[in-house]
Amino acid sequence: MTATMGDPAAGAGPVEPWDGEREPAQKPEEPSLSAGEWLGRNLFSSPVNALLTAVFSLLVLLVVRGLLNFTFSEERTWRAVKTNMRFLFTHAYPQDQYARIWVCVGAIAVLSGLSVGLLARAGRGISMKKLSMNLMATGGVIALGIVLREPSAIVDDEGVALHRDASAAVGDSFADWLDANAFTVLAVLVLANAALAVWFHLQGTYLRGGPEPRVGHGVLVLASFGVLIVQQYATGEIVRESFVDAMSDRAWWWLAAAVLAGGGAALWSGLGDARRRNTFVPAMYVFFVGAGVMVLSAWVYPWGHYGFLEGEFINEPGRTVAMTTKLPWTVMLVLLVATYELGRVLRAAGAGPRLRVPLNLLWVLTPFVLYWAVLRDPDLDWDHVLSTDLPMALFFAAFGGLVVWFLAHPRIGESGRVVAVVLVAVAALNWVAAYFGWYPMLQKARISFLLLAVVALLAHNFAGDRAQRMKLVAVWVATMAVFHWLVTLVNSPSTVDTPTDALIGGFGITLIVAVFTLLLAFPMGVLLALARTSKLPIFRVLSTVYIEVFRGVPLITVLFFFTLIFNLFLPDNMTLVDIAGATIGFALFSAAYLAENVRGGLQAVRRGQYEASDAVGFTTVQRTLFIVLPQALRVSIPPLVGQVIATFKETSLLAIVGIFDFLRIADKVISAQSEFLGVKREGLLFVSFIYWIFAYNMSKHSQRLEKRLGVGER
Amino acid sequence: MSSARLRAALVAVAIALGSCGESDRADDPLQQEATTSEAAEATTTEVTSPDIHVDRFPTDMLDEVLGRGELVCGVSGTRVIFSETQPDGSVVGVDADYCRVVAAVLFGDAGAVEFVSLTTGERFAALQSGHVDVLFRSTTWTQSRDTAVGLDFGPVIYYDGQQLLARAADGYSSSSGVADVAGAVVCALAGTTTEQNVSDAADAAGIDITLTDFDAIIENFIGGSCDIATADGSALAGRKAKQQPDDQEWVIFPATPFSKEPLAPAYPQNQSRFGDVVNWAVYATIIADEKGITQANVDSMAADPPDAEARRLLGGEGVLQNAMGLEDDAFYQAISQVGNYGEILGRHLEPAGLTRAGSINASWRDGGLIYAPPAR
Repeated sequence: MTATMGDPAAGAGPVEPWDGEREPAQKPEEPSLSAGEWLGRNLFSSPVNALLTAVFSLLVLLVVRGLLNFTFSEERTWRAVKTNMRFLFTHAYPQDQYARIWVCVGAIAVLSGLSVGLLARAGRGISMKKLSMNLMATGGVIALGIVLREPSAIVDDEGVALHRDASAAVGDSFADWLDANAFTVLAVLVLANAALAVWFHLQGTYLRGGPEPRVGHGVLVLASFGVLIVQQYATGEIVRESFVDAMSDRAWWWLAAAVLAGGGAALWSGLGDARRRNTFVPAMYVFFVGAGVMVLSAWVYPWGHYGFLEGEFINEPGRTVAMTTKLPWTVMLVLLVATYELGRVLRAAGAGPRLRVPLNLLWVLTPFVLYWAVLRDPDLDWDHVLSTDLPMALFFAAFGGLVVWFLAHPRIGESGRVVAVVLVAVAALNWVAAYFGWYPMLQKARISFLLLAVVALLAHNFAGDRAQRMKLVAVWVATMAVFHWLVTLVNSPSTVDTPTDALIGGFGITLIVAVFTLLLAFPMGVLLALARTSKLPIFRVLSTVYIEVFRGVPLITVLFFFTLIFNLFLPDNMTLVDIAGATIGFALFSAAYLAENVRGGLQAVRRGQYEASDAVGFTTVQRTLFIVLPQALRVSIPPLVGQVIATFKETSLLAIVGIFDFLRIADKVISAQSEFLGVKREGLLFVSFIYWIFAYNMSKHSQRLEKRLGVGER
Repeated sequence: MSSARLRAALVAVAIALGSCGESDRADDPLQQEATTSEAAEATTTEVTSPDIHVDRFPTDMLDEVLGRGELVCGVSGTRVIFSETQPDGSVVGVDADYCRVVAAVLFGDAGAVEFVSLTTGERFAALQSGHVDVLFRSTTWTQSRDTAVGLDFGPVIYYDGQQLLARAADGYSSSSGVADVAGAVVCALAGTTTEQNVSDAADAAGIDITLTDFDAIIENFIGGSCDIATADGSALAGRKAKQQPDDQEWVIFPATPFSKEPLAPAYPQNQSRFGDVVNWAVYATIIADEKGITQANVDSMAADPPDAEARRLLGGEGVLQNAMGLEDDAFYQAISQVGNYGEILGRHLEPAGLTRAGSINASWRDGGLIYAPPAR
């Protein structure tokens, strides 16, 4: 709501007020450069620039070559990762219950599709110019990767690389010579580049802006790339395939590169400059096509069929992936596309404003429902549900509903506060009673009562007419229904039987812990930040102490405390399971950091905003919720997202407190399987890749969010 | 005790708000009033010494485990031969099989086991805090662990011992001794008794070695940073069988290990009834091995026992299992569902290139150390 305020561009286009969006200011258009001109201006514009280009492109290529050769080397046992794929992602979650995992993924796909279709910036999407350039670049990078990778080793029937006869002479071919002298040749080429740069500089060629620099430097740089490639065709100790064989073995990759680059080039040349710039496709369509190609490749490309079923290893390299992999992913993609289109239809029908809040609530509720209702498959004790759980939920819904109805009356005045304070006192007494064990009571009754007391205290802030009060009552009843339902599920034992003590592990637990940590830490962090900036000394001091303590203690210490030591403080027959303890530890820790980020945002809100909200008669709660926090959170997006990414990655510390998380399985467990003894690096590389995909996407999403809210522009 | 209720309740809030606990109705604080019978069995937590000793089972542990219907068994999960975790999360190995033996003895169902993978650091704490019932985690029986740490040990199921791994190309052979490694770079797992043992052995042999700490000794051995790798013989044999490159030959020596590593199950102190069950579950498999009762012939043996001991063991006349609080056919179930000692060891040792015959893990009749008291 704040983004459109005082924005001169707001009046220019049709701005949907609920959306908080606006068109970014248009940059003046520059004419497109030809490829040669672009190179000349950006890569070889001065002696220093030309030399930097030469050296750093060489270094980047060396690193990429190393990574490619490592990944595709015949010494890698990628079968260990492929066979353990299910293990890595869900640990021991039983295969016959695996549909539950897919239901979870499907639910997230549906919600994502709806959210993106319904809420995301209508925007113009990706321009054809950008799209075709990216396509050509991707094709080019793939092609470069294909030629950069070393030729495969020739293997015997058992898959062991053949070694060259020791007596065979090395050094009888150009490649062998290059292999032996690669460093010298590369150094000579870089020096030649430097000499050329000096020569051009003295001649004033750079200032004239002709084609000579880019041609001269370009040839030398390409030559050094050539050295990196040709050097690998030296046969060395291991017998390797020839250049022609290597290139033809990579036919599928060539096809991919050609399709991408060719498609991009066709788009580029097929459309004129004006049309390239002004034709847009929605970004999601590009994503769908990419994901579609991936899913399609699962059906046609022989990625191999690996697995472990009933004690037997499945090892069929020539096949496409298992039906249990490709079918669900196809369904997921279809779900995503369908719900995205549905979201767009709803948006076009103007349903966006009404659906936005329910959709966001669903997002918050989804992790709880997916974990406790879907993944755990609780075994409900219906007698207990009917005799205790249901009546209690009904009582609190009805009683609390009445309380809210009365306390939200606009003319209730002081008597409302008295009732609320009495409720708070009773709720507090409940907990004192629990402390001394005076009378037994279900803990969830105490929690419900406390919730009610808090709501009663806040109710007068939301006082309004009849419809408004009906809405408040409805919100309370819905909250109670969801809360009691969830607690009942939590209290029921799981029917999913795994051979270990954990329900799920691997990437599953990484995601679950990260999501629940953030759900707990975010509200805590905001409250702590508000407390720290509060005028009330008790809040300020407590919050400051909390934040400084948790920021001053290493995370691993906090985790050890909550998984090992905390249980010793717990009473009688109560223990906190490792995962719960770790989640609490993570949440308390990141809440302290989030609080500081939010505090930074709070301090950026100008004094005048407070004064203005006071002037229009807002209460403190209203001022905080509707004026201060929206502005403060907007400003703190970049550090907040940084903290989210950090928390996501820090979940790998779960391995240290003995939980089978993603990293521990790759690092310790797979390399101890007798089938894959000592195979560790593949798993670690794979794990890094998955972490990167998630962290990168979060980072991209935050960038979009920043752009949408105009952070950094005002 | 009630002073802890508030904390209990606070944690209950935390659990309700979103931590992922796999709560059991009986244990859940949110259901406290519904579980007064369990509360009556409330356990006390006492911190007695720096070695935190939590007496989790003032009542009888055997009854508690039998009541639960599932054995929680602490294993390594990352040790070939003894317990390795397979890609579907199941655990296989000698230790894992013995967990199944105990489960079969207790419940008549070898599948009634919940495996908990423990690191070396957390294994004893897990046992003391009652997180696991029994530890089959290739744990060496030592005096300090038996006394100060507060554990009790069962019968030894595998006699291991520390050895050295070297490359034949460096001039070592299986008949080499510790004295032959003078001047070599020996890699041992950092901060373990393994490291101490090898340095003691070198001192005893009067030689100098360069000791290097590594977490990944085999990787460094293959990579060439170590001339010699040292660990328990069973671990080295498993590594040699799987990781020896085609162009190298590895040897394991000396023939007589230079440390004693009797690997035995461990369970909480002062739980004699439960301890008896674990001990006799192991003994039953050893006696069955001595008498040639195998998984395949246990049915015919039970119908027509070769002698009185076998008859008692398999639940026939004069059976003693009922006096232990078990079913008559407890040991029959263990052997028919999992196997006897020789079968259990054989099926996991062979893939690693180890044999039982001729080693100290052979039966006492064949000159080994595996010996069980008589079942009478």
